Amino acid sequence: MPLYHPRLETIDTDETRRYAGLSGEVDFAPALLNEACTLAQLLAIPKGVWQTYVYDQDAHTILSPTPFILTADSIIKHLSGAYEIAVMAVTIGLSLEQEVSNLFSKNQYTLGLLLDAAGTTAVEATCDAVSSVIAGQAARAGLTVGRRFSPGYSGWPIDVQPEILALATGAAIELSVTDTKMLVPRKSVTAVIGLYPYSQALGLPHQQALACDNCGQPACQARKEPTRQ
Amino acid sequence: MINIFDGAMGTMLHQAGLKPGQCPESWNIEQQQKIVAIHRQYVQAGATIIETNTFGANRIKLAHYGLAEKTAALNAAGVAAARQAAGSYAKVAGSVGPTGKFIAPLGELTFDEAYNAFFEQIQSLDNARVDYIIIETIIDIQEMRAALLAGKAATSKPIICQLSFDADGRTVTGTDPRTAAITLEALGASVIGANCSLGPAELLAVVETMAQSCNLPISVQPNAGMPELVNGQTIFPMQADEMATWIPKLTAAGATFIGGCCGTTPLHIKTIRQVVDSLPKESQRSQHSFTALTSRTRSVFLGPRYCPVIIGERINPTGRKSLAKDIKEGSFISVKKEALAQIQAGAGILDVNMGVPGIDQAIIMKQAIDELSLLVDVPLAIDTTDPAALEAGLKAYPGRALINSVTAEKARLDSFLPLAKKYGAAVLCLPLSDSGIPLTAIERIKVAKEIVAIAKEHGLNHYDLLLDALVMTIATDGRAAAETLQTLKLYREQLGCPAVMGLSNVSFGLPRRDLINAAFCTMALSAGLDAPILNPFDPLMQDMWSAATAISGHDNQAVLYSKKYVTMPTKPIDATTNTPDILTQIRQSVINGETTGVAPLIRQALAENINPLIITEQALTAAMNEIGQAFGQGRCYLPQVLLSAETMRLAFNTIKEVLPAHTVQSLGTVLLATVKGDIHDLGKNIVAALLENNGFSVIDLGKDVPPETIVTAAQKHRPDIVGLCALMTTTLPQVDITINFLKAAGFTGNTIVGGAVLTESYAQQAGADAYAANGVTAVNIAKQLLSNAKELR
Repeated sequence: MPLYHPRLETIDTDETRRYAGLSGEVDFAPALLNEACTLAQLLAIPKGVWQTYVYDQDAHTILSPTPFILTADSIIKHLSGAYEIAVMAVTIGLSLEQEVSNLFSKNQYTLGLLLDAAGTTAVEATCDAVSSVIAGQAARAGLTVGRRFSPGYSGWPIDVQPEILALATGAAIELSVTDTKMLVPRKSVTAVIGLYPYSQALGLPHQQALACDNCGQPACQARKEPTRQ
Repeated sequence: MINIFDGAMGTMLHQAGLKPGQCPESWNIEQQQKIVAIHRQYVQAGATIIETNTFGANRIKLAHYGLAEKTAALNAAGVAAARQAAGSYAKVAGSVGPTGKFIAPLGELTFDEAYNAFFEQIQSLDNARVDYIIIETIIDIQEMRAALLAGKAATSKPIICQLSFDADGRTVTGTDPRTAAITLEALGASVIGANCSLGPAELLAVVETMAQSCNLPISVQPNAGMPELVNGQTIFPMQADEMATWIPKLTAAGATFIGGCCGTTPLHIKTIRQVVDSLPKESQRSQHSFTALTSRTRSVFLGPRYCPVIIGERINPTGRKSLAKDIKEGSFISVKKEALAQIQAGAGILDVNMGVPGIDQAIIMKQAIDELSLLVDVPLAIDTTDPAALEAGLKAYPGRALINSVTAEKARLDSFLPLAKKYGAAVLCLPLSDSGIPLTAIERIKVAKEIVAIAKEHGLNHYDLLLDALVMTIATDGRAAAETLQTLKLYREQLGCPAVMGLSNVSFGLPRRDLINAAFCTMALSAGLDAPILNPFDPLMQDMWSAATAISGHDNQAVLYSKKYVTMPTKPIDATTNTPDILTQIRQSVINGETTGVAPLIRQALAENINPLIITEQALTAAMNEIGQAFGQGRCYLPQVLLSAETMRLAFNTIKEVLPAHTVQSLGTVLLATVKGDIHDLGKNIVAALLENNGFSVIDLGKDVPPETIVTAAQKHRPDIVGLCALMTTTLPQVDITINFLKAAGFTGNTIVGGAVLTESYAQQAGADAYAANGVTAVNIAKQLLSNAKELR
């Protein structure tokens, strides 16, 4: 079941505030925030696709038809103990980012910024929905899923983006990658999810690690957790 | 009587030698005696219904093994094997599993493709003489609808429908057990239930809810606990004895068909049988009677016991040119906007009318239903007079829709009622007959009774029907509203079906229609109206609705009413505090981002003959400086800075409007670009906005701009500053390259660089004059660089 267009019945305003760089306590323009979230709901076309592969953790290799060897320590460590992996790609399409540019050109900067943030919320929600299907399928085989891990984060070089996109069969959802390894449309994500036996998943210390703690950008406005001292 | 299913087939097959990657159903022909032997173990364990080894025997799944053309043969062989083992001891249920694909718009498979695959399989099972069809392990209600519809068309045997629920109590695509039960009972399932994914502990609540939400028998086939994978093998940890302890609880909750799914064995079934045999005779389940509509994820109940529900009427192109134009062009943005706004305004059901002349209404209705069912969680009413459009909408809708509407006109009854029965929809009955509009309440209920009787002849029941009391304008007939109200009373007394009607006709031709509509609505609610069709944006109607809901006791202790209308005590005005001067008010307005409040203040200041330069310097620029400082100190955030910039822009525009001759000296020119290969432009756009609103002239070259283009533009416009943005590590080198190009071309201005992964040290090594971490810093640096340059001159 590799293709899924999840529903977005709401866009979470709290998440959107966070991606827009607003701290939890600030009471900022709720009407504008709601407008941005509604607009995102109207414009986002959420789509996801994924493939699962057996993972050879000793050789750090994804056993796809053309095996793909992982070389970055961070992803190798993240997948230690994984029996299989799912490689996923999601997008919410081009319309939303075009509207962000359009709003800036109409001098509606704030709505543009908030819509961009709401788009990020929408992409994350799409990732969660796809992950949930992957988790459901994995559970039937006695596997549980780990955290998503994306190229370009936490020490996994972005250079693998084309290979990861191909493993996920991202072209099926009209997702492509530029020479500079950027996804088009921009509001898109590729990620690898480890599928672990329950006994492994319950005991793996890296599963408990917070994604933001592993990231090299402590000043990021959208951090989910406080910067580790 | 409790019926006992068998247990898992998959694990038994692997134990019998099925290899990973091998098609399980192929053994129905190749290793039929092994299949018979597995079935026999379950029959001997006490199963009263055994399931055929045909879970994946649909054309779509079999195609993975190149066996699509053997669909009929594999199903027939599966039934033969089960029948051989069952003898006279057990019944045979033909197992039908999912296609493995999501149905559009959630996935790539069309509804008709899924329907056809299920029809072929179920017809094969029926031809081979199964006793039941069991559609199981389905994670999406729309796939279940396709399978059940196909089943109803292919066989007259009872159809058991089992969904799989996740730990959150919903299917993967969001359907809860109550909504599933209501939708599937209306659609014609014989038994409904749940299997797989969860163990008996987790499925107990699902069984309870389903039993309370329908009058059908309930089935449950839990896994033997939650699976674990040990040494590459999937292990289900719950032993037979432990599983058996859940059986009395599951039967007490309402289950009368019980078996096992993944991980269960003949021993589990034997133990279940022993427990079932020792149970006292189950008590009769109480019958449930209600009228409900469902979406994919939610149920809405209608009738005197429930809070009245607003049916939003705004998705209707009649008399609305721009909505009609959008629909005609296949754009549903306006429709979706109307949907979200109506729900926000209080609608609990949405009426969907696609009546645009010159379109294929069936195609457009399907698209509209697809789009709306992805977007909203309230049930939909399909409003059409076109049977083809109605069928297209009902087929696409993943819930129990309301049909708006049928009349007593023969053609309408003949075409609409079979569709309502087929797709499990509720029907709004309008007491109009071939002889016209009945004027009195007595005449109306007579026609309504005729429609109800005919609807029942078509297999619909009392709870499938809603009644419209007919609303006519009081402008031409003073008795019109009174007759409608009397009709509502008679409906409730004599028929008891929920009453639904559009209100606004009552005021046609009168002034202040909102007043008449709101008053009529309260009277109609009191007379027995359960769901008015109205414009939820009408403010008077909104107020009336809140009040009426509180008065009728549906807003317990008027909590919602109070929340909406309570006015917080305002801060007492301190008589000693003077109103701040106008410049302070403007400054504060910009800081607060008051986009609607700043223009009147500017007009007032200009009317007081304050020099626009003073307004700019002492109020607007001062405000931006202040908010910039607050941002730098972490006291406010980027969206607030941008809102202040927007407010400042509006202030400037107002000055321009009042004094067209007024000009502002530019602080300098900045050329901005995101470097070659980088397609991100949000950060650059923010910098541009802030620079412009701080008095700079900005030339924005956009994103993915080659160095040659930047150099050409710099030579043409001779900017004071070139600002370059790069977001990714892969595009950072383009910053260096562009700066080198600019230097080589003799550019003598300053360069500022920034972007997510760019750092101060990188900026230095790239030869930039400055690094800006954010838009506010970029503005400050730009001012500083130009001030330095001025001093040097």
